[in-house]
Amino acid sequence: MLEQFVVFTSGGQVVYQFNCLGKKFAETQINRFISHLLSSPTIHNEDSSRKYRIVEIAGNSNTSGGNKAQSRGFCSMYHVSRRPELYYVVTYAEQSLQLNQEAEETLQVGINLWESLGLSEGVLDNINGKGSRNERNCIDVLTDLEEELEKFDQYLKIKYEEILSRDNENSSSSIGKVDSKKKPREAKGKKQQQQQQGGGRKWGRDGTMEEINAQDSKALDFSENNQQAGGSMGQIDKDSFGKRTNQGDFLIKEIDDLLSAQKESYQSNEDKGTSAFGFLRKHLLGNKTITETDLKSVLDKLKQKLITKNVAPEAAEFLCKQVSLDLVGSKTASWTSVENTARESLTKSLTQILTPGVSVDLLHEIQQKAETRDAQGLKQPYVFSVVGVNGVGKSTNLSKLAFWLLQNNLRVLVVASDTFRSGAVEQLRVHVENLAELTDESHIRGSKNRRDKTGNDHVELFEAGYGGSDLVTKIAKQAIKYAKEQEFDIVLMDTAGRRHNDPTLMSPLKSFAEQAKPDKIIMVGEALVGTDSVQQAKNFNEAFGRVRNLDFFIISKCDTVGEMLGTMVNMVYATGIPILFVGVGQTYTDLRVLSVNWAVNILVS
Amino acid sequence: MCDIKEEPKFFNRPYCKISKISRRSTRTVLTHISQCVMVSNAVLVAIILVLITTALFTIRTTSSGLIPVSNASKVTNKQPTFIIAGPSESGKTSLFTLLTSDSLRPSVTSLEPNVAHDFKIPITTKTFTGRLIEFPGHLKLRNKLFETLQNSSNIKGLIFVVDATVDPKELTSTAEFLFEILQVTERFPNGVDILIACNKSESFTARPPLKIRSALEKEIERIIIRRQKSLETVNGAEKTDDDGNLQDEPQVFNLGLKDGFKFESLEGNIDAVEGSVIKKNIDRWECWMDERTVN
Repeated sequence: MLEQFVVFTSGGQVVYQFNCLGKKFAETQINRFISHLLSSPTIHNEDSSRKYRIVEIAGNSNTSGGNKAQSRGFCSMYHVSRRPELYYVVTYAEQSLQLNQEAEETLQVGINLWESLGLSEGVLDNINGKGSRNERNCIDVLTDLEEELEKFDQYLKIKYEEILSRDNENSSSSIGKVDSKKKPREAKGKKQQQQQQGGGRKWGRDGTMEEINAQDSKALDFSENNQQAGGSMGQIDKDSFGKRTNQGDFLIKEIDDLLSAQKESYQSNEDKGTSAFGFLRKHLLGNKTITETDLKSVLDKLKQKLITKNVAPEAAEFLCKQVSLDLVGSKTASWTSVENTARESLTKSLTQILTPGVSVDLLHEIQQKAETRDAQGLKQPYVFSVVGVNGVGKSTNLSKLAFWLLQNNLRVLVVASDTFRSGAVEQLRVHVENLAELTDESHIRGSKNRRDKTGNDHVELFEAGYGGSDLVTKIAKQAIKYAKEQEFDIVLMDTAGRRHNDPTLMSPLKSFAEQAKPDKIIMVGEALVGTDSVQQAKNFNEAFGRVRNLDFFIISKCDTVGEMLGTMVNMVYATGIPILFVGVGQTYTDLRVLSVNWAVNILVS
Repeated sequence: MCDIKEEPKFFNRPYCKISKISRRSTRTVLTHISQCVMVSNAVLVAIILVLITTALFTIRTTSSGLIPVSNASKVTNKQPTFIIAGPSESGKTSLFTLLTSDSLRPSVTSLEPNVAHDFKIPITTKTFTGRLIEFPGHLKLRNKLFETLQNSSNIKGLIFVVDATVDPKELTSTAEFLFEILQVTERFPNGVDILIACNKSESFTARPPLKIRSALEKEIERIIIRRQKSLETVNGAEKTDDDGNLQDEPQVFNLGLKDGFKFESLEGNIDAVEGSVIKKNIDRWECWMDERTVN
C-alpha cells in the first residue's frame, strides 16, 4: 500500500491530496520530504536509471529540539513538472520492489491524468492571471477547476485500485513471473537484492544464494491474505461494490482514452522558433520563450566560466542543468537577453546551494551547552574537532578559531591529537604560546602555568606525545575529562592530516568521533585544490559513519586564489554541508564568516 | 555593466558609440550607424529597432539620472506591497490562501514565493489595490525576501507570522530571522511597519502576543551582542557596494543598545496581534493592514 499521493505547487499550496490509507492528510510527512529536498539538492541526482526520483528519508528518534515526536522513516517518489511548477509526490513506507513499482505506476497515471484533464493548463492560467477574479481581485490556483479536480480524484482512485489489485495478483500467482519481469533491475545494487530476499531467494550466511521452492514462498507470501482482507471489505456491501466495478469499467475506458490522447498532444507541442526577429529577441528585446537550443550555447559559456573558476565539471554540469530546468519554456523579461536571464538563474541556484540549511550561531550553541551540566554536576565543554587532508591548514585554522574564542572570554583547551606527524605537537605548542601572549601580555614564553602545562589560564595545550591511532582516541577522552575537571569552555582537537582515499587512514576517524563525541566536526578544505575537492568532502563526510556527518567547512587559503572560489561550490555540492568560515590570510585575525552574496558575485562575475 | 555592451560583435561597435553619445542628438548616431553597417533589408529593420532601444535607453538614463544597472533584479518594485514572512510552519501560506480566496487549503513547505497582484483589501473604505507577496520561510530560501525588500520602494507593511505555540525560550531562530529583516527595513527612511502575527491562537498552548513580543525583543538583544562578538563577514576588499552597506548596518542597532534593545526605538512600528488562520479569525490583522493603507 502506498501512503499518500500529493500534488502541490511550488508556492506550497496543495492542489490535490489523496491518503491511500484513508487517514487525514499528513503535511508533516511532505514537509520533511521538502526540507530533505532543499537541504541536499544534489545528492539524489545520481540514480538516473529510474523514471522518477526516489528519496529515502530516514526516521529520526532524537528528542532534542522543540518537538519530541518520533518520526519514522519513509520513502517518496516524486516528479516535478515545470510549466506550471507542480510537484507530484507519492510516499510509501519503505523501498521494496512491489512498492516501488506500485508507486511508479500510480505516479505515472496521476501525472498523465492531471495533464489530460487540462488541470495543468488551468493552474498555469490561474498563476499567470488569466482566470476570473474573486471579490478580492485575486485568482486562486484552483479557480474554476473544481469539476476537473473531482474527476481527477475519482479517476485516480479507480486506477489506483486497479494497480493495487493487479499487483496483488501478480505477487500471488507466481514469484517466478515477477522475477523475470524485474530482471533488468536486478543489477541495481545491494539494497534491492536484499529486498528480494523476502520474495523468492534466500541468502546463506556465507553469501551463497539459494532459491526458495514454491512451498516456502507460499508460506512467506502474505499477499493472498491481503486480498482476502480486501475482499471482506467488499462483502459488506456487495451490491454497491458490484455496481461500482461496472461504473469503474466504464470509467477506466474513458480514462484510458484520455491517457492515450495525451501522448499525441505531446508531439504537437513543438516550437518553430526562428523568425526574423529571433536574433534580436534573443539578445536585446526580451520577451522570448526560451528553448533548449537557445540555452545550449549560453550554458556552455557559463559552464566554461565556472570551470575556469575552479568549479568541478560535475558541479558545473549540475548547476547548468538546474538553470535549464528553471528556464526552458519560460519567457525572458523585456529588455533582457537569454544570456542575462541564464546568468540570473545561475546566481539563484548558486545562492541556494551555498546558503546554509541550518542556522549556525556558534556562540549561541556554546552558551547553551555551558548552561547544561552532566551527571556529576560538572560543566560540559564544547568540543570541536578539525579534520582534513594533509597540509590544508588544520592547525592554523584551529588556532585562528581559538583566538576568536579567546576574544570572547572563553577558556580554551587545545588538544594535540595529531600523534603521527613529527613536529605536530611542537607546532601547536608555538601557537598556544602565541595565543597566551596575545591574551595576557605578562606571559613569558616557555613558562608553564600552575597546572604545569604549556599556556596560561586562558589557553592551554593538552599533549601526550606521539603514537598510533589508538592513542588518539585515548588522548581525546582524557582531554575531555581534564577539560571538565578544570572547567574549560572549549576543547579544540587537532587531528592528523590524512589522504581521503585511503581507507586505512580514514577508518580511525569513525571510532574517534564515537569516542570523543565532538559537538562540531569541522573539515578544513583549501581553496587551492581543484576537482578533487568533491571527492575529499564526500569521503570525509562518509568516514564518520551513517549517524554522524561533518558539521561545517572552513575553506582556507582563500587569499591565494583570487576569484577562483570554485572549491566552495564543489564541497557544498558534494555534501550539502555549509561553509561557515573562510581563511583569508596568515594572521590569527584572518578568519571570516562566509558571505554567500560575496562568493556568488565573484563566481558569476 | 550594461547588458547591451555584451552584445555580439555585430552590434558591438555602433552600439558602444551610441551609448557614449546617447545624450547628444540621435542624428549623429544615425550617421555613425550608416557608416558602420552594410545596408540590407534585415539590417535596416535591425537598425530601426536599435534606434528605438537607444531612445528608450536615453529616456531611462535621463529620468533616473543614472545609468541603469544591468542586473535585472535591481528593478524596483514601486507598487504598494504587503509582505508575508516568517519561519517555516507558522502558517504563512495558509494565511495567504485565506486572504486571497477566503478559503482554507492544506499547504506544505513553500519553495517559491506566492504573489497576488492587484490584491484588494476587503474592509477598506476606499479601494486599495496592491501586491501581496508571501515568502517561503525555509533558511535556504530567505534570500529572495531580502532581495525584494531591498528593491521595493513602497512597502506598506510586513506581516511576520509566528507560531504562538512555540516556547518563548526557543524563539532564537525566529528572532534571528526578524533581526535580519529589520536590518534591511530599518534602512528605509521611515522603516517598515511590522505586524507580529501570532498565529494559532486557537491552540491551548498559545502564548499571549505581548509575551511573544517581549521574548523576541530580548532574543534580538542577545543576538546583537553575539553579532558584535562574532567574526566579521568576508568582504570584497575596499568596495563600497551593497556589501559595504551591509557591514555598516549593525551600528544602527548599537545606538539603541544603551538600555537594551527595544522595538520602540525603531523607525517602523512593531505590533503583536494574535489571530488564527484555521479558525479564520484574522480580522484584527486585516484591520492592521487596512490602517497601513490609509497612510
